[in-house]
Amino acid sequence: MKKIRLRLIQFFLLAAAVVFLTPIALIFLTSLKPDSEIIHFSGIFPRQWTLDNFREIFDTPEEIPIFRWLLNSVFISSAVTFLILLVNSMAAYALARLELPGRRGLFVVIIATLMIPGQILMIPVYLIINKLGLLNTPWALIIPAGAGAFGVFLLHQFFLGIPRSLEDAAIVDGCSIFGVYRHIVLPLSKPALSTLGIFTFLGSWNDFLSPLIFLDSVDKFTLPVGVALFQTSYAAEYGLTLAACVVCTAPALLAFVFFQRHIIKGIALTGLKE
Amino acid sequence: MTRAKYSNIFYGYLFLLPYLILFCAFILLPLIYGLGLSLFQWEVLSNAPPRFIGLGNYREALGETYFWKALGATLRFVAMIVPSVVFGALLIALALNALPEKSGGFFKAAIFAPTIISISVAGILWRWFFSAEFGLFNAWLAPLGVKVPWITENRWAMKSVVLMTVWWTLGGPMVVLLAGLKQIPEQYYEAASIDGAGAMRRFFHITLPLLKPVLLFVIVMNIIGSFQVFGQTFMITRGGPELSTRVLVQYIYETAFASYRLGYGSAMSWLLFIVIAVFSILQFRLVRERE
Repeated sequence: MKKIRLRLIQFFLLAAAVVFLTPIALIFLTSLKPDSEIIHFSGIFPRQWTLDNFREIFDTPEEIPIFRWLLNSVFISSAVTFLILLVNSMAAYALARLELPGRRGLFVVIIATLMIPGQILMIPVYLIINKLGLLNTPWALIIPAGAGAFGVFLLHQFFLGIPRSLEDAAIVDGCSIFGVYRHIVLPLSKPALSTLGIFTFLGSWNDFLSPLIFLDSVDKFTLPVGVALFQTSYAAEYGLTLAACVVCTAPALLAFVFFQRHIIKGIALTGLKE
Repeated sequence: MTRAKYSNIFYGYLFLLPYLILFCAFILLPLIYGLGLSLFQWEVLSNAPPRFIGLGNYREALGETYFWKALGATLRFVAMIVPSVVFGALLIALALNALPEKSGGFFKAAIFAPTIISISVAGILWRWFFSAEFGLFNAWLAPLGVKVPWITENRWAMKSVVLMTVWWTLGGPMVVLLAGLKQIPEQYYEAASIDGAGAMRRFFHITLPLLKPVLLFVIVMNIIGSFQVFGQTFMITRGGPELSTRVLVQYIYETAFASYRLGYGSAMSWLLFIVIAVFSILQFRLVRERE
């Protein structure tokens, strides 16, 4: 009886997994089909496998600067991740560890902004970015990202768990505050830093609303916005569009496959630690 | 105070400084700036300088059918998506939790995977699935002689967006709920089994009460997130047909960045914020009163 129950549960989960994975598989499989097979659907797998769609999107850089978009995306996501890890970890360290007058109040103010929905900042941030002359540059997406409170919160909680005696010993040995941060706190925080790093990278890679607002010219686009452009200009050419989708999805999916434990554990933690 | 202590304080603030600059410039300042903007009539296209009109923008929004229509579309989305995602995520988390220790990693990863797909890719994909003529779903339904107007008719369009959103967002809540389930001590179930409690009783008397804080957190976060829906409707239905799926964030986006009515857009985004805050507070109140 117990065995049958377990089999039923496994069957249910397998069915759910198939339902959730099929659309992702379809992005890849459909990008390898000729257009005629896409319009007249003839099965999930291509009858005639072809790389023509990929050849076409990579061979016409003037019309479809997909390589440019890929570079933009890689640069922006890497820079955002670097900035957040650096700036947020420094702030979290100061707030968690250093005896600063007013740090408690400051922490509360920073954490309170986690409740604010992002769209309320959309218009004023646009105007500030415009004032700074950064519209239509990658910096419009990179610099404001460093202000988010999520990373400060996550790292602050993690730093609190590091035994203080280690830091005290280093200070007795003549280590500076910066030395403690650089040589003790950061190396001990690798799990938290990598979780935050992966979240940040994926979030930035997939971000859609900010590039839509801050970028105008086609050669400045990131992949998600570039790919969305396809839908309007190449509406009938599903093959090309889906090949572009593959270019946008594959890096994120690879990162997910490599780091899924980190990612899933990180999500679980953010939900429970409240 | 010693000199060393002063220098520590100095270095401490130096550590905070880069973040504080960004925090002030891109969160605090915009917050105040946006609230101020919402009190001005500022229409970039008309070339007129911004003019203070007090609560005029708010009054305009509350008296305008498009605003109410967008709020209605948003509420319809929230009302459908939150129960679907939470119930689905709970069901799958319970199933995963019933598997033997250390198994089920593949299922978990598979169901979580869609959450890492960009909304523009997911949107293009599902727009194709839903397409009336060349769409995948209608191709699959064709042998049954059924043709569903997934995104071309009012009564279907929002449901289709909800269906896609369940696929796209179920993974997060599922993982959080599963972690919550794993925190419930095994002994409780063992004791209940010895006392002869069936699966149903165990669920309603052990699992549900102990999972409640996590479940509440998931529901509130899901409501807050769902009120901010934008990408799905923007990519799949473009707000149509007949604006039946044009949600508030899309209307704000169009007001600010297509019509360039910045003051009015800011006022509407504050109204959305108020709606979200009211819902979250109500939710917590309700739960506290029951306890």
